[in-house]
Amino acid sequence: MRVRSDSLASLLELSAITKAFAGVRALDDVSFELAPGEVHALVGENGAGKSTLIRIVAGALRPDSGTFVVSGQAVEHADPLHARALGIAVIYQQPALFPDLSVAENIALGRESGSPWSRIDPRLRRDEARELLSRLGSTVDPDAPVSGLRMAEQQLVEIARALGARARILVMDEPTAALSEREAGHLLGVVRDLRAAGVGILYVSHRLEEVLALADRYTVLRDGRFVATRTRGEVDKGGLIRLMVGREASLIPPKPDTRPGAPLLELCGLGCAVSGVTDVSLEVRAGEIVGIAGLVGAGRTELARVVFGLTPADSGEIRVAGQAAAIRTPEDARRQGIAYVPEDRRRFGVVGEMSVAANASLGVLRELSRFGLVDRAAEERLATSFVSRLAIKTSSVHAKVATLSGGNQQKVALARGLATKPRVLILDEPTQGIDVGAKAEVHALMAELAAAGLGILVISSDLPEVLGVSDRLVVMRGGRVAGALTRDEATPERVLALAIGHEESARPRATGAP
Amino acid sequence: MTEGTRATRALLALLAVELVVFAVLGRNFLTVGNGFEVVRASVEVGLLALALTAVIATGGIDLSVGSLLGLCAVVFGWLAREAGLAVPVAAALAVLAGTLGGLLNGWLVTSLRLPPLIVTLGTYSLYRGLAEAATGGVANYTGFPGGFLGLGQGTFLGGIPAQLPLLVVAGAFFWALVHRSVIGRGLEAIGYAPEAARHAGVPVGARLRLVYVLSGTVAGVASLVYVARLGQAKADAGSGFELLAITAVVLGGTSIFGGRASVPGTLLGLFVLALLQNGLRLADQPAELAGILTGMLLLLALALSRERKAS
Amino acid sequence: MTAATGPSRAGRSRELSLLAALAAILVVLGWRAPRFFSTANLADLATSVAPALVAAMGMALVILARHIDISIGSQFAVCGVVMGLVAKAGVPVPLAAGSAILAGASLGAMNGALVAGLGLPSIVVTLATMVAWREGLRWATEGTWVRGLPESFQWLGLGQTPGRLLIVATAAAVFALFAWGLASLRAGRSVYATGSDAEAARLLGLRPRRVVFCVFVAMGALAGLAAVLTTVQFIDVQPNAGVGLELRIIAAVVVGGVAISGGRGSSLGVLLGVLFLAVLGPALVFLGGKAHWDRALQGAIILLAVASEAARRRGAGHD
Repeated sequence: MRVRSDSLASLLELSAITKAFAGVRALDDVSFELAPGEVHALVGENGAGKSTLIRIVAGALRPDSGTFVVSGQAVEHADPLHARALGIAVIYQQPALFPDLSVAENIALGRESGSPWSRIDPRLRRDEARELLSRLGSTVDPDAPVSGLRMAEQQLVEIARALGARARILVMDEPTAALSEREAGHLLGVVRDLRAAGVGILYVSHRLEEVLALADRYTVLRDGRFVATRTRGEVDKGGLIRLMVGREASLIPPKPDTRPGAPLLELCGLGCAVSGVTDVSLEVRAGEIVGIAGLVGAGRTELARVVFGLTPADSGEIRVAGQAAAIRTPEDARRQGIAYVPEDRRRFGVVGEMSVAANASLGVLRELSRFGLVDRAAEERLATSFVSRLAIKTSSVHAKVATLSGGNQQKVALARGLATKPRVLILDEPTQGIDVGAKAEVHALMAELAAAGLGILVISSDLPEVLGVSDRLVVMRGGRVAGALTRDEATPERVLALAIGHEESARPRATGAP
Repeated sequence: MTEGTRATRALLALLAVELVVFAVLGRNFLTVGNGFEVVRASVEVGLLALALTAVIATGGIDLSVGSLLGLCAVVFGWLAREAGLAVPVAAALAVLAGTLGGLLNGWLVTSLRLPPLIVTLGTYSLYRGLAEAATGGVANYTGFPGGFLGLGQGTFLGGIPAQLPLLVVAGAFFWALVHRSVIGRGLEAIGYAPEAARHAGVPVGARLRLVYVLSGTVAGVASLVYVARLGQAKADAGSGFELLAITAVVLGGTSIFGGRASVPGTLLGLFVLALLQNGLRLADQPAELAGILTGMLLLLALALSRERKAS
Repeated sequence: MTAATGPSRAGRSRELSLLAALAAILVVLGWRAPRFFSTANLADLATSVAPALVAAMGMALVILARHIDISIGSQFAVCGVVMGLVAKAGVPVPLAAGSAILAGASLGAMNGALVAGLGLPSIVVTLATMVAWREGLRWATEGTWVRGLPESFQWLGLGQTPGRLLIVATAAAVFALFAWGLASLRAGRSVYATGSDAEAARLLGLRPRRVVFCVFVAMGALAGLAAVLTTVQFIDVQPNAGVGLELRIIAAVVVGGVAISGGRGSSLGVLLGVLFLAVLGPALVFLGGKAHWDRALQGAIILLAVASEAARRRGAGHD
């Protein structure tokens, strides 16, 4: 039994881990160590190897070489079941719960093991579920089907499951990505409680302020290689970024001041009963970037979907360049000059199996056609122009989009929207899950487009981002507009206050003091 | 090598094997006359398979094509022989019946968002059932005028079956639709990622309804060819055609999960199957062997294409 | 038997409406065609429901796991012939029954290997095996019936009434056993989990591929049992039995509330679905309808059942 030189035995020790896929090294000689009762953050750009490392810890992948030691015992031939038995629980970005099964059953399945012929007791399961959930401050009904729960509730169910499984190593992959500030705050409190109880937490997040405030140690990966491990207090945000990127990279470039022109998009009392959007009025003028902030569930994406015609409005009016517009389908929206780059790029933004060119042209095929047949030369010209304009890194316009990195896929999604030559561009979480370098490029692009006269609506849960890029901010709450702030008026506290519905702006940010 | 070229090479190899084997085992296999017979017998399934290619490209499936063919055949037979309508009118109405059948499939899939599998399983039963109920299970319409029968039994230019041009035209149409047209690009996107297609502005509902309506209409046309060829219209017309059509499509390299499609592949797969049936018959093999081998070919084609459902 | 998971309210309402529909039909029958309730007719009904119940449980397992099996008609035919041939060869009838069930399990294992082992879509696999097995059987038997079976074959040598009781009791017992297993054994819950999200099941070590393989084997064995329960009612075995069985059974299961997308459904629902369809067909005949509307009716019922389920889920906001 190996014991470290200091008094605490490591929960998890990865040494010299290497993993390659088709000749490309996703991880190259990476080492990582997790002690009990600590939050150890893993940071790095997209493609740095974080998800590969997580999958190795989860037992979903086996390293090509290197050692994987849990509580002093070497792990050979790892598989998810074995990992669970070792006390490892993983909370992925997409909840790995069974939508049709109840909360209690989901929790129990994560914990129980045994022969397929063993009996189960529904009442016992229900009681245990209730107890575990209450420990996390959740009042979800154990018999409710998971499919009806919100993302934040589902995550708590996953954590309850991990707790029930007496996990001592908890891996969390971007846990607050889809949460509102308040829900994120609650979750971070739970993480701190777990830490106090001796659980070791491997925490992966792009949200550097959160990571700096929460974690005890930070390990930075870059291009599959280990860069450095720092302890709390040794490094600040800029330092982390420098380590991640290998160069000095600016955060959000301040938006050049432009004089906004005529209103391109006006929403007057817009409502859609089905999606919960109620009486929304706002306007976007040419050359403006209007940010939409709010908690998850505030109705921001729902609003975008109404404006874009995916879920048509049943009350109020949309005016485009001063003219009333009836938008009942995405084609209508397109005809009016509105483009929407949706939130979940892998599912909605791009078609991974099709080429860059085919993706870019998907919205404008009619314009690129003759007698109903696609004009491939014109399509290639369009795609090539976007590849250069948006600096999309791809081997050719005929490469499958699935082979591109997250940031470049996002650019292809953007190209698809821009190809329709819109007057109004709606961006929904445009930089979610992409690395710092690509983020900066997207922000620069937005400023450029605005300067060229587009009206841009940006939905973002990343407060620094939305504060940095917007000329004006609209805050939504419960499907309505809670308030509007100019660039000068907008501070994180005010935005949060409007989003939550409290007037006290002195509330400290959830990711601040422990 | 792409998936498509791999499938084509395998098919061509299979074709070569069939030609050799049956030339040796069968009587009069490698003759021009037999070649024409092979073509003649495969036009109906070919039409169904072409339309099915577009349906499968969207990630859907249509199990009801054989049953709908039967229903349209019975409708035609009744209208032409019992109701005394002129053949062209009865024919047009029979095709219309096919269109309506396709419309029902399309509506259930798009407006009620039901999985195509269960919808067309239901209509597979419903359409055949309607054909059986209408004929009491027994009626068999015959005695069609010679001119009409010529469509299925006649020849031109010294032996070319009269129904071949129909297949050629349909082949060209579906090739253009799936591989070159704007609509085809939309179908591909829908097959790979329907939500992304919707966000891109592809009118998903309209496109899906279109492919099912086309499938139904084509079944109606195929029913006319069938009745003309056999000279009779019974409720069991087209039984088993859905398996042949689906096999032809999958053999040809179209992905059963949608997205990637190949119309030329479907025609090649059709040819392979038609040769198989014909060759076995000429080699005095029992009729059941064709069915068994077709089933096995389908499984082999699926297994070799190494397609796995993502989850 | 009734432990439905997840949206128990929706599941309950489906079961209640089925029960109500069933009661309605029985009331109408009692009023217009009381002959339906004669002992002879009810006994006939019970013995025809028995094999359907067993087969429906198998199909429910497959559909809960998010797959489908349209080859059960062919499996049924093959198993019936196997039973006949083995019994004719002098093997005691119970053992012959066992061999039929084993034959079914083997056919199911073939389906399972292709679907679970190679990851091929079950609709196409079972479409292929459906045709291959039926054609293979026809080729092997040349369409001849299996005759000259020993005395102990029909009704297992017990006579009609005890034989019928045994058939119904066996079906009920097997159904109840599987229903209990689905609700109370980890293996049963794994079926629901696999159907709900196979990948999540894999990550939890529930071995979805093994689950899928096993449900197909179970389906085959249960199809074999259904064949046994049917063939012992007669003195010879026909070689083309079970044509259209798959649609009848799928209709019953779908009407019973088992979701075609997997992961949802209850054994009680399956029971009610089987009873409902078993009563509906004969009821229509008794009320003056014609038998050759059967297929059309089944098709319409399948469509109505899935459409109403989808409409209700849409309304409840589960979309």
